[in-house]
Amino acid sequence: MPRRLFVSVLAIMLGIALSFPAGAVEEIKIGVLYPLTGGAAAEGKELRDGAELATEIANNAKSELSMTMAKNAGIKSLGGAKIKLIIQDHQGNPQLGADLAKKLIQDDKVVGLMGAYHSAVTKTVAAVAERYGVPLINESSTSPALTKEGNKWFWRTTPHDTTFTNDLFVFLEGLTQGKVKGVKAFDKKDLLPVVSACEKTEWGSNVDAAIKELGKAKGFEPQVSLLYAAKAPDLSSEVQSLLAPKPGTMLFAGYGADAILMVKTLKSMKAKPKVIWGQDAGFESPEFVSTLGDDVEGILTRTVFSPRVGDVKKVAKEVNDLYKAKTGRDLSGASARSFTATQAWVHILEKAGSTKPEAIQKAANDIKIDADELIVPWKGIKFSTSGQDLGQNELGTGMIGQYQKGKDGKMILEIVYPFELATTNMIYPVKGW
Amino acid sequence: MEALKSAFDFSDFPRTDIWVARAVAAGLLVFPLLPHSSFAMATMIQFLMFSVYGMGWNTIGGYGGQVDLGKAQYVGIGAYTTAVMMIRWDVPFWFSLPIGMGLAVCWSFIIGYPLFRLKGHYFAIATIATSLILKDVFESWSFIGGARGLKIPLKGEMPNFLYIQFREDYYYYYIMLGFFFIGLFYLNWFRHSRIGFQLRSIKDNEDVAKSLGIDSHWSKIKAYAVATAFVAAVGSFHACYNFNIEPEDVMSLDLSVLIALMAMLGGAGSLFGPIIGAAVLVPMKNYLGAWFGARAGLVGLDLIIYATIIMVIAAFEPRGIWGLITRLRERRSD
Amino acid sequence: MEDLFIQISKAVVAGLMMGLVFGLVALGLTIIFGVMDIVNFAHGEFLMIGMYAGLLTATLLRVDPLVGLPVAAVVGILLGLVCYYSLVRFLLRGPIVAQLFGTFGLMLFLRNVALMVMGAEPQSLHHGILVGKSFVVGPGMVIELTKLAAGVLSLAAFAGTWWLLNRTKIGKGLTATALDGQAARYMGIPTERMNAFAWALGGATVSVAGALLVNFWPVDPNVGLLFTMIAFTTVALGGFGSIPGAALAGLIVGMMINIAPMWDACAVYLEMEVGWLHQFKYSFVYLAFFLIMVFRPRGLFGWKH
Repeated sequence: MPRRLFVSVLAIMLGIALSFPAGAVEEIKIGVLYPLTGGAAAEGKELRDGAELATEIANNAKSELSMTMAKNAGIKSLGGAKIKLIIQDHQGNPQLGADLAKKLIQDDKVVGLMGAYHSAVTKTVAAVAERYGVPLINESSTSPALTKEGNKWFWRTTPHDTTFTNDLFVFLEGLTQGKVKGVKAFDKKDLLPVVSACEKTEWGSNVDAAIKELGKAKGFEPQVSLLYAAKAPDLSSEVQSLLAPKPGTMLFAGYGADAILMVKTLKSMKAKPKVIWGQDAGFESPEFVSTLGDDVEGILTRTVFSPRVGDVKKVAKEVNDLYKAKTGRDLSGASARSFTATQAWVHILEKAGSTKPEAIQKAANDIKIDADELIVPWKGIKFSTSGQDLGQNELGTGMIGQYQKGKDGKMILEIVYPFELATTNMIYPVKGW
Repeated sequence: MEALKSAFDFSDFPRTDIWVARAVAAGLLVFPLLPHSSFAMATMIQFLMFSVYGMGWNTIGGYGGQVDLGKAQYVGIGAYTTAVMMIRWDVPFWFSLPIGMGLAVCWSFIIGYPLFRLKGHYFAIATIATSLILKDVFESWSFIGGARGLKIPLKGEMPNFLYIQFREDYYYYYIMLGFFFIGLFYLNWFRHSRIGFQLRSIKDNEDVAKSLGIDSHWSKIKAYAVATAFVAAVGSFHACYNFNIEPEDVMSLDLSVLIALMAMLGGAGSLFGPIIGAAVLVPMKNYLGAWFGARAGLVGLDLIIYATIIMVIAAFEPRGIWGLITRLRERRSD
Repeated sequence: MEDLFIQISKAVVAGLMMGLVFGLVALGLTIIFGVMDIVNFAHGEFLMIGMYAGLLTATLLRVDPLVGLPVAAVVGILLGLVCYYSLVRFLLRGPIVAQLFGTFGLMLFLRNVALMVMGAEPQSLHHGILVGKSFVVGPGMVIELTKLAAGVLSLAAFAGTWWLLNRTKIGKGLTATALDGQAARYMGIPTERMNAFAWALGGATVSVAGALLVNFWPVDPNVGLLFTMIAFTTVALGGFGSIPGAALAGLIVGMMINIAPMWDACAVYLEMEVGWLHQFKYSFVYLAFFLIMVFRPRGLFGWKH
């Protein structure tokens, strides 16, 4: 009996040594890491749907779309090879993300990687990509630190938080000067004091630092700034401290459940700020609107996409219609960005004409994608190849949206910044609770 | 010399065990030469890491009967010492490893002294408390990166043995295997040693042990220091193996729980217990996670299975799987 | 200066309201401990199940969350009985270490069953007569109805438990078992059944606390541990096995997690850095447990049961 047990232990160990068969040659495998379970699961599904739609468009000829990627079926320079996404769930766990990245590289033999939403996970995945020399394109992690590492195998399509936070203060200044549609100029004192609360991982800590640094320069330095755990089940003591100086402007960076909890707690404590602004992520998740309903009206969030972009960009509307047919939802910041990053992958592979890592690296460094191709309102995609922000798309821009009730009674994100893109009058001040 | 002899002396085990142990050791040595997936490799490295964690836990939890649920704090100290020294002062792994172990042992003395005035549940809860407090401190300490954690930079050319940075995982595997064997032989010595006997007598009956002139408080603290050194060493390795550490990953309560769970499951207070526990638990955890993880709805199934086993074991055979084996043997020999 | 006073009193009131619920969370732990000297590691998981019971009652049956209270109580009683008869009974025969392993296993088991059934995402209540409503008292003191109701109801639960233990036959049997099990057996009190009753009562009180909490506290499968720690700290403060001790200590623990806003109010006044203390919100609770166990194991009030 004991011998049998030991033999079975041995058998388990040998059993592990089984390896998985390799796939076919006709397809180009890209490993994708998204949080499909855990606190940011809803965002993960958005990201996945956006990436899958882009793959569909790339793999099949869709002549009705006005983008290059839709003209051919598959990658023309690689003999019409099809893109295949291998999507893995990292659950928001950096450790698991790194393990899965290794698995994708070594077992699934992917050509490149894409992901991973959470900046903390992207950081570990980028370290793995760097070690193995596999290209990683990041669609939506916005911690400025990611492109400061000098990684040679990391490219980021989205702008990062320094850009976004700078936008925020330009917007606040413009608000006091009457540049915002529907708001007359007023005294800056109304917006003071500023307070902020950010979640404390890689992303939130960097947003916190950016708010302090850039806010100081513009005279909007936060009087109270807190860091809290994104998993915190209770924020009432934090909110009490935030409300103590009777703030005019409240700035947040939260991932999912915590963003919802923050707004609920603000409501229960009867907060009355003039401006509430969230740094995307939790403030733009579908759950945020569906859970809080009318309570989100007037809240501002940094974003890169709103269905309203379709009014100014034809291609955005076309893709949004396809997306809506596929999922029943409008494109969001998350899905628009994962779509765009997948698109960048297609363009880079087309340019490289090979799946060798070095060829892809060279193509990524040389690529220039025009603004007309993209569904997001950027000036295009061109990665920085030198200086402080290695691998950062230099042509990305941010937007600020405000939740407002549409005619159909549904909440929609109206654009209030950039000032010239404004789609409607801004609600100022927020009605508070 | 005497100590070395007793470290390699397994003569009190039955012959079948020794043969099985040799076969497993041989299997571990040749594993990387067999065809394997990277996932299997990662699983095996984790198995070795958790075996050594378990050995550390076992010195105090098994032989001493003091259930520690805060081992992650020492993993954190080891990992952070190595990472901080490598990032700030370029200190190679082999130099920061003993320093990390030393710092962890110092911390264990500081908290061990008051901790060992407690027994049973209160000790267990208090170790959770200290571990969580230290995690909070690490998360808000900006010198070591706070909640963002630290990233170890690549040192250029790989393989780099001084900073243990490799592209292929089998290097890490063999380094960890070395730790594993050192730990095993050390524990074998520990079993026969004076402090080992003292601990066991304290576990059996503390009052009697005291009347024999054993300073139980001090013996426990010493054994705790040994346990800590083991865990911190693996923590240092973990930092280099992962290139990224953050409090949530190296100091989480889940890690403490897993360490304790494996040792308990395999058999607390036996030499091979933690190894058996890790051999059962780690592959199950990873492979169940991989198979079911994709089909959400079955998350947590692996831990449900272990928890059930743990409850059954606690109710009927507190000595774990190893205890079951022993019991079956006794029945056969009757 | 006046502002400082308002901020501190806000924090104190918030702490007291939470503290009443914490007392109720700890009550079950102290009852079980008092009767049979066994400590339940899975205590926080019982609370988590009570939270889910309240949440599911409210969302599936589309009724007010307060209807979930009796449902949670019944769930708690069943849970306590099932745990006692299928596990704890056997653990009592084994060594102390086995009791620890056993309830530790129970903790993992319940947590992961909840994970499998309910998923990992935090869930919270969004409707109900009380949810999200609050009123203002005096100079800007905001009282949330859910917390106020939870505090009042947990006082009621405390009173009910006290009545049960001191004014009914079964309660007297329980008290007798707690004081001296051996003697109680000689007197013909069925101690085995009394043990089961203690687990049922402990399970009921902690589940009700969960159903109260879920009105303003999101529930996820891992919520239990924090409350296990809070309950242990409360029980350690109040003295193991002491019911009034648990009630008073709960208030103190409630204050503890509100130290940060109190400090912030003072820090503004002293022109020091604000906001950093929030990260240590729960560390105070853990530290309190550690210090009390090491320096004053009898508890703050030194009451022996």
